[in-house]
Amino acid sequence: MDISKGQRLPLSLLFAGASQTVQVGLNISGLEAAVDFACFGLDTQQKLSDDRYMVFYNQPKTPCGGVELAVPAGDRTGFLCRLDSLPASIDRLVFTAAIDGNGTMRQIRSGHLRFLQNGQEGARFAFTGPDFQDEKALMLGELYRKDGAWRFCATGQGFNGGLAALVRHFGGEVAEDVPAAPPVPPAQTLSLEKKMAAGSPKLVELAKKATVSLAKYRLDATIARVGLVLDASGSMSGQYSKGRVQEVIERLLPLAVHFDDDGELDVWAFSRKVLALPPATLANYADYVNSAERGWRNWGMMSINNEPAVIEQVIEHYRGTRLPVLVIFVSDGGVSRNKEIKDLLIHAASLPIFWQFVGIGGRQYGILEKLDTMAGRIVDNCGFFALDDLHSISEQALYDRLLGEFPQWLEAAKIKGIVH
Amino acid sequence: MGISLSKGGNISLSKTDPTLKNVLVGLGWDVRATDGADYDLDASAFMVKEDGKVRSDSDFIFYNQTRSACGSVEHTGDNRTGAGDGDDESILVLLDKIPADIQKVAFTVTIHDAEARKQNFGQVARAYVRIVNKDTNNEVARYDLSEDASIETAMIFGEIYRHGSEWKFRAVGQGYAGGLAALARQYGINI
Repeated sequence: MDISKGQRLPLSLLFAGASQTVQVGLNISGLEAAVDFACFGLDTQQKLSDDRYMVFYNQPKTPCGGVELAVPAGDRTGFLCRLDSLPASIDRLVFTAAIDGNGTMRQIRSGHLRFLQNGQEGARFAFTGPDFQDEKALMLGELYRKDGAWRFCATGQGFNGGLAALVRHFGGEVAEDVPAAPPVPPAQTLSLEKKMAAGSPKLVELAKKATVSLAKYRLDATIARVGLVLDASGSMSGQYSKGRVQEVIERLLPLAVHFDDDGELDVWAFSRKVLALPPATLANYADYVNSAERGWRNWGMMSINNEPAVIEQVIEHYRGTRLPVLVIFVSDGGVSRNKEIKDLLIHAASLPIFWQFVGIGGRQYGILEKLDTMAGRIVDNCGFFALDDLHSISEQALYDRLLGEFPQWLEAAKIKGIVH
Repeated sequence: MGISLSKGGNISLSKTDPTLKNVLVGLGWDVRATDGADYDLDASAFMVKEDGKVRSDSDFIFYNQTRSACGSVEHTGDNRTGAGDGDDESILVLLDKIPADIQKVAFTVTIHDAEARKQNFGQVARAYVRIVNKDTNNEVARYDLSEDASIETAMIFGEIYRHGSEWKFRAVGQGYAGGLAALARQYGINI
């Protein structure tokens, strides 16, 4: 029996008898690079909530034995599926292929996913290069539960971003040593610590911590511009006078120095109006909030908060840049202009800017808290997290959170051609 | 949440929601999660007589002819990617205004450029049609097609039809190959 791409059918149609044990045989030929095959066991939300249910050469069997790496005669690889051994929490088995190296699935000469029982083939989903485009990873097909029975769908779709994109689609963690991930290229910039040591010994400790996070998120070699937007509405005065805003600048400067082509942190303050401050650098960062433009008390701020105005100005500032931009937007909440902010950021999704909103010591973050899941954007260009107090989080954890979503955006933005 | 129908199932709209006069037929599907060409799905409506054919081409409501001559059926606009919350496309039906010689209104969805893009309904996730009372916003009935759609490129999602003096809705879930043109010809449109 031949199965076409996109076709759905009950497993009972493939084999006579009630046996719930099937063999899956996989083969792909014509690709120069190696292909890694895997079987993902997903929950009802179609997420990999239990990493032990990803079966591949480094983990050849699920704990229940329901899926096991086993190659039928004549196939490149395959899996033995004992469907009645799987826990009820496993709702779906997705069979995937990912190219480890150069090439795309368009170059496949021939390939198949076939089902066998006792060595006898029951059905085959055959495919060739023209079925695909620039995908580097594919979901070939999936077995899933529906109304108490198992069904099959010949999915035949995937991701240009390869195995890492696939794993993210399933909501899994991409570990450091994912086999298909490219090796981290040697850093193109001088070590962050060395730069700090030369410019500001005081920041060396922070630089070390930032470097760890940068490596963790594979941002070692990324060149980007970094902007900082500071809420300077009246409710923030305590944060300024206690020195907390100054601390934010000190903690972010290492990131700016690392990423930035010019080692500068572009800074804006906003209240009702917007004030573009001189960039923070290793030369002027010390006591920045009390010295830049004669100090924060003379900025003419401390009124209501007008987020849309500053968002517009930041967008304008980076217009035409060819580098990705990480904007860190610090707010203490009281956000009310939700509709305007939302419209601006939806519109800005096509620009090479990622907006990381950080709530400090505030409340009523309004739309800022919902930016992650906002619909209607080409890529998710916003992140948000709140801190009660800057001191409640370690510097290492802060860098992790600041950088957590940026790489995902960067990858998605590259795929969509927003960043080159 | 309205009554959930399976393929072939039907309900009496008049009995389920006696206040129902103006019907919003909402059609939806999930935006493509994988890379590649977007799924551009188009909803259309065919107003047909007892014999299952249209009276004239003006009984075919689609993205290029968004309103019937009698004003009883209106397409509210094309969504190119399936992005956004809620219904992706909707068709407004004013039951009291449907001409007496129209026996049923069929709601179809076709995949634009399916052949060139090598797409079919089996790849589209979570397709549904729902019947909403426009005046109360109450969902009267719903039909999720996901498992009934496979390698077809055109589907009749459902139909509203006369039954004696009342209106009923049927979850059809019938698929065809050949796209909107083939479907239109079946309903007697000259293409």
